[in-house]
Order: sequence, then structure tokens, then C-alpha cells
Amino acid sequence: MEPLLDPQLLRRLEALALRVRRAVSGKMGGERRSTARGRSVEFADFRSYSPGDDFRLIDWNAYARLDRFMLRLFVAEQELPLSIFVDLSGSMDWGRPNKALTAKRLAGAIAYVALAALDRVRLTVFAAGPTSGGAPYRGRRAVAELLSRLQSFPVGGPTEYSKLVWPIGRQRPGMTVFISDGLGETSLDPAMAALSRARQEGAVIQLLAPQEITPDWTGDSRLRDAETGVEREFTSTPVTQAAYLNALAERTHEIERAAHRRGLRFVRLSTEQPIDDMVMRTLRRLGLLS
Amino acid sequence: MSILVPAAAFLALTIPVIIALYFLRIRRPTRIVPALNLWPDQIRDRQANVPWQRLRFGWLLLLQLLAAAVLVAAAAQPALSAGTSLARHSVVLLDVSASMQAKDVQASRLDEAKKQAGGIIDLLGPQDRMTVIAVGSSPRVLASVVGDRQALHRAVSDVSASNGSADLSAALALAAGLVRPGEDARAYLFSDGIVGPIRTDSASSLPFPVEYHPVGVSGENVGLTSLVVRTGAQSRAAYLHLQNFGQQARSFSLEWRADGHLVDVRKLTLAGGQAQDLVLPVPADATQVAAHIDAGDFFALDDTATAVAKTPRAFRVLLVTPGNVFLEQAISLRPDVQLDVVAPAAYKSTAPYAMSIFDRFAPPTLPNAPFIAIDPPAGSPLAGGAAIGIGRVRASDAGDPLLTNVDLQDVHIARSQDLQSSKFGRALITSAQTPLMLVRDEPFRQALFGFDLHESDLPLRIAFPILIQNLSEWILPPSVPSHSFHPDEPVTIVPEAGATSVTVVRPDGSRRSLAGGSVATFGDTGPTGLYTVEQVVSGQVTRSWFTVNLFSEQISQLKPADRLTLPPLRSTTGVQSLHRGQLEIWPWIALAALGIVVIEWLAFHRGL
Repeated sequence: MEPLLDPQLLRRLEALALRVRRAVSGKMGGERRSTARGRSVEFADFRSYSPGDDFRLIDWNAYARLDRFMLRLFVAEQELPLSIFVDLSGSMDWGRPNKALTAKRLAGAIAYVALAALDRVRLTVFAAGPTSGGAPYRGRRAVAELLSRLQSFPVGGPTEYSKLVWPIGRQRPGMTVFISDGLGETSLDPAMAALSRARQEGAVIQLLAPQEITPDWTGDSRLRDAETGVEREFTSTPVTQAAYLNALAERTHEIERAAHRRGLRFVRLSTEQPIDDMVMRTLRRLGLLS
Repeated sequence: MSILVPAAAFLALTIPVIIALYFLRIRRPTRIVPALNLWPDQIRDRQANVPWQRLRFGWLLLLQLLAAAVLVAAAAQPALSAGTSLARHSVVLLDVSASMQAKDVQASRLDEAKKQAGGIIDLLGPQDRMTVIAVGSSPRVLASVVGDRQALHRAVSDVSASNGSADLSAALALAAGLVRPGEDARAYLFSDGIVGPIRTDSASSLPFPVEYHPVGVSGENVGLTSLVVRTGAQSRAAYLHLQNFGQQARSFSLEWRADGHLVDVRKLTLAGGQAQDLVLPVPADATQVAAHIDAGDFFALDDTATAVAKTPRAFRVLLVTPGNVFLEQAISLRPDVQLDVVAPAAYKSTAPYAMSIFDRFAPPTLPNAPFIAIDPPAGSPLAGGAAIGIGRVRASDAGDPLLTNVDLQDVHIARSQDLQSSKFGRALITSAQTPLMLVRDEPFRQALFGFDLHESDLPLRIAFPILIQNLSEWILPPSVPSHSFHPDEPVTIVPEAGATSVTVVRPDGSRRSLAGGSVATFGDTGPTGLYTVEQVVSGQVTRSWFTVNLFSEQISQLKPADRLTLPPLRSTTGVQSLHRGQLEIWPWIALAALGIVVIEWLAFHRGL
């Protein structure tokens, strides 16, 4: 089986890191500034000593001046909990290059950046419902397992964004990356609202195929929905194509507005864009990576 | 199986047309799209983009071809061969006589017969024709040489049973008249076999075979077969005859009513086959009496009997004779005659008599009224020529109703006046030498005997009182006969002199007006019961009555006949090319076609 990400790309990704706007609140130590106090070289604050505190942290200079025990507090450095939600519904199994494959590769690349920075990565794929990608991954050693697991997920079924509300709500505050084409019959807004409630900093990545963005066919055809299988006879004319493009643009704007309203980043990507270009350029420009 | 409308096969052209439409239809390649809801619901009908392309299998095509094929099959009207053999012209003889009202089978015998006749109608092919005849007291054609099965079904279902008898001979004669010579015909008789006498001589042979389909199963019945009221010296009494025609004993109650009022109730038990006569009291002022039994049998029509209790109005008859005991006795036999016998010397022409009989006497002036003149003396206006010897006596016309039951075989007459040149009227009894007796209708009904009864042995024969009775009833018919008639039997009503209107009130209360002033025949006597005849004479309404009762042991017998002896088959019968009846199955096929169309519709909407 062809590897999801080629080694050259992986090497280039090591230079990147996830960029969070606010301090994180992880469980284990890492390389992120945390809202908690811990051991690092960065001074944070003083506070009065109380019995049981580590007396090694007593600032003896302050005791000399103030005749009181004061503790020096330092900023803790903790991991960043990163959740990646990947849409693997029927509509994603479409396009050249295939949207689902591109989504898996993009998710793998982002996960790799996080794992390389000792961040914790939780993977969830979804279609009719969410499917957990297993226990959270941590450390560079988990990269191979994560990529393998990501590659093994099947693609198909309808999209039910509303069923993501519950797993999103369980997230600890952190970062979430949401990769989907946003073309499900239900609205994406409840899931984004759940992200906001769960104090998730993150991004919504709408992934479309170039044939969706610019249909490459005209004439009579029988259209079949990739998710529901419903068919309808259709005649493609410039007028109907314009109507389609309007509808698609409206859907994109709708998602974008909802994302911004929830404080999330949004970007629309085409699968014809190379993965490294997506990661190295677009996502950095988006501020997701640095 | 056969095809009734082979020409419908041309509709099979629809099948290649459907296939051609599939060739010409727009081919739409299937495209999978991620989100169908983004695409506008817009379709444009256009010409085939690829005409005469390769036909591809599709469930819709298959279903449409199947529906077309099944519809073509239905239009061709396939029919299954039935067990019954049919001729090209089927004659259905449906017994509608009184006995068909019996309820020993589901609903009634007539309903069962209708059902069986309907089964024959259903088997008719498109080339077959059918005639339906109701066999009643007079046969009635319900449908004559008809091929329309709906019309035949209507004709059969509309018929109802009468209270009369079944004259099968007349019905067969009518059917024979409706069949063309040499025609391939066959008759089906649906009856219980209780029919009038059937002529089975060669003269009444039939041009078609008759299949007898017996209807009915039981003969269990108790019926009233006679009810008459007799007036004795002191009182009047009714004589009722009732009989158990079945095999099982039956107990029942008899209700005896006079003018609707209950007079007597009796509990009776009759063993199987047992008959009983009862004498029942008749109140002096009663107009009618009626007996009713509640036997709970299959046949209700003979459970009630009605009789007129009023004495009929008497006719006054004058007999002028030097002495003739034979004549006197013969005239007196009639109950409604009041006879005055006078000697020729005592004759007065002023007295009003309904009829006068002049025996060897001629009045100076012949009365302008009905009379019978016997051997008028020479010189009188009616007298014939000189007496001549008479040989063999015979009837001038054996079928004359006046000679009904009159046997002239052993009658001898010594001599008679020569009436050959008489202008009196037509001859009733004649001989080789001269007519012996003449009758005429105008100006009044009158009769003339050319011989002295004492010079003949006629008065000693049984024929004499019968002849006198026939003459008397012909000359003086009772205004309204008070005896009982059978259903559908015509009743002769002679309006009284001066009657301006005559109305008959039937048992159900309906009224029928008759033309006043002339003898009328009332034939609307279907229902049983009491009929009232109302005559208006000089502003006064006079009423008289007659009754209609079944009174037929043959019908009350009720047991259906297993077989009938029918007239022989005529030797020149049409070629019998019997074919099997055909049971059409196209409605079921059309139903299947409808089902296929529905499936096709569902398949289309499911996007097959």
C-alpha cells in the first residue's frame, strides 16, 4: 500500500508547529505554555508560602527583603490536545484527486506536526456517525500507527454533522481541526457551536474537488447522489451550471460565516492543490501552523 | 382455450412501438455527484440524442412490454372451454309458474333457475345467439335471438314468478317458431317439471333438442285445494279440502275468517299424503270467507283460500211448454236461474224475463230478448219446411264452444223440420238431410231447435243437460261469475243493463276500469284473493265478487320431476354442430395488466 505521506514531506513538516492563540491546558508536560503553573524557565508570578509547598521554590532573596516566605511560580509547559475530525462520508469519495484520500493525507500531515511537537492527537472520522480513531496518540512513535489507522478507515454513507455534537463536547479545551466538504444534507452549524462551547481553538477546512468547483460536463444525464443514491434526470446548461455554482458558493459562505461567528478559522481547499503546498503555505497563512 | 376476438392481435403493434420509443428515448448517462441538492431540478425534453441506439435492458421496459402484451391478450378476449355444450342459437325456457316460488332451494326455485340460466349466458361466444322465453300460463319472449349478454342477463333477472301454471307446450311451440328452419339450435329448460300437459305426438315435434335442468329438491307441502260455499235449505256452509302432499306429518292451525273477522281456529295434524275435508260455518251476512293455514312449508301460495259467500243474483227464465220434464230439469240445474213454467195458453208477453224458452209454441210476437225456440209450430215465423226423416246426427263444428263436452255419437232424431232454407243463423247441430239446430248472436243470443225433443233420444243422453247448460250460459252469462278462478285465468264480466262504469278492485286494492256496456274479459287475475266488481247503474253502485285461488293439486304436489317426456325431435332438425361454451377470462387478464402498470409506476418512482 502506498504510504499516505512521503518521507520528504514528513521531514519538511518537522519544522512546523501548531499555532495556538491562547495557553493550553493539557494533562501531561509538553512544549506548550500552559494555563497551569509548573516547571519551566519562564517566571510567572509570586505567591505566599503555605505548608506543603515545595520549599525548593522559596525565593530566599524575597525572604531576606520581606521576611516572609514567597514562592516563585513558573509557567508550566504542557501538551496541546489536538482533535482532528475527518469527514469520510460518501460525498468525500469523489473527485480527482479523491477528496477522502486528500482529507486523510491532510489530517495525517497536521497530526504529524502535532505529534512531532509532543502534542496529543485524538482522531475521529465521521459519516453517518462518529468513529473514534482509537486512544489519543502522543509522541513521534505514534505517527506510523496513526497514519496506518487513518488509511484503514472505509469511506461511504451519509453525513450527519449533528451526531458530532456529543464527541466534540467531550473534548478538553484545545485545538480541533475539522476537515469536510461541508456538503451534507444537514447543517454544519451545530457541530461548530459545540466546538465553541468546548473552548476549542481550531479550523474548519472545506475540501472540494476541482470537478465540483468547476463542473467539467454538460448535456443530459441522470444525477445520482453519492450519499443517498437518489437519482434525478438533469440537463446541464450554462444556466443550470450557474445555478449550481451559486448554490455551492452559498454553501461555502454559509460555513465560513458560521465558523467565523464561532471564532474558528476557515479555509476552502481544492484537492488539486498538492498536500505540501496546502500544509506549508495555506495552513501557515491561515495561522494554523507556524 | 380459444380467442374470441382474434382481430385484437393487431394491437400487438404497440409492443414494437414501445421498443421503438425506447430506442428513441434520450439516453442519460448516470453521473454521481456529491450533493444532489445543490443541482437545480431542471430537465429539458429534447429529441433523442442518440437515435436507434442499442436497446439496453431496463425493468421499466420489461414491465411496459409485459403490460402491453397482457392488455393485447385481454383485448383478444381469450376464453376457456367450459363443460357445457352450446349450439349457435340457444333457447332458454325459464319456468315462471307458481310452483317456482317454492323456497326449498336457496332464495327460491326461480332464483336458482335464473342463476343456472345466467351460467349458460356467460358461456355464449361472440357468434352465439340466445332466446329467452318465460314459461307461464302463456309463454312470453323476454329476449329474442340476442347476442348481447348484458341484455340477456337483464332480461333473466327482471322476470318474476307468476301465480299461474306453466304451459310448456305453448312455450315449446313458440320457441320452435323462433328457430329458423335448419338452424343449429338447442333449448335449455330450467323448471321443476310441474308443467301443464305436454303434447308428445309427432305433430308437435321440435326442431331442436331440449336439455331439462330440474330445479327444486322437496315436495313437502300442505295446501288448500278447494273451498266452495253451498247454500242449503236452512243455512250455508263452506266445504274446505286440504291435503298434505309431503311425506312427513305436519301439525298446523287453520284460521277461518268471514269478511276478515276470525270465526274459528282449529288445530290440525295431517300425516304424509293425508287429505281432509272440513265443513265450516258461514255467517248469514258474510260476503266472503277465507281459510288460512300456517303450515310452515316451502310453498305459501296454497296456504290461503278465499270464497264468495253471497248468493249470486238469479235470472228469471220463462218456459212455455205443453209439458217437457226433460227441459225443465235441465234448466233448473243452473243455481242462479229462477224458472217459471207456463202453459202456452197462459203465456203473456208483458212479463220481463231474462230468457224465454218456447217449446212447440210460438208467441204471436217474438220477444225482443234472448230465447230458445223448440220445434215451432208450422205457420210461425221461425218454422221451417215440412218434416223430414233424419239419419246420423253430427256437429256442424266440433270445436264450437257451445258443444264442449257434448257427445252426439249415439243421439238419434226421428224427424225434424227442414231448416235448410232458414235464415235464422248458423247451424250448430246438423245432419245429412237438414240442419237440426241453429243459433244466432244478433240482435240477441237465440237458439232454434228444428225437432221435437220427444221425437229424439237426445234428452236421455248425458249430452242434453250439458248442451242446455252451455246454451243457457251462452245466452245468459252470469254478470260476474262468483266461483273461483285460477290465477291468470280470464274472467268474463257482463255488465248489467244500464251500467255506466265497471271497475274491478283487485286483492291488493288496485283498480282496473273496464269499458261499460259490453261484455268484457278481465285477464289481470294474477294475484290470489277476492276481486270486487263495482258497477254503477243509474247512479247506484252494485258490487259483486269473484275469487282467484291456486286450487291446483298438480302445483301443490310441489315435488320436482326428475325427468320430463318431451315432444320428439323433428327429423329435419338443423345440423347439430355443438361447441363448448366459453368462459371469458379477459377481466382477470385486464386486472393483471392493471397490476403490472401499478408496479411499473412504482418502479419508475423508485428510479429503477
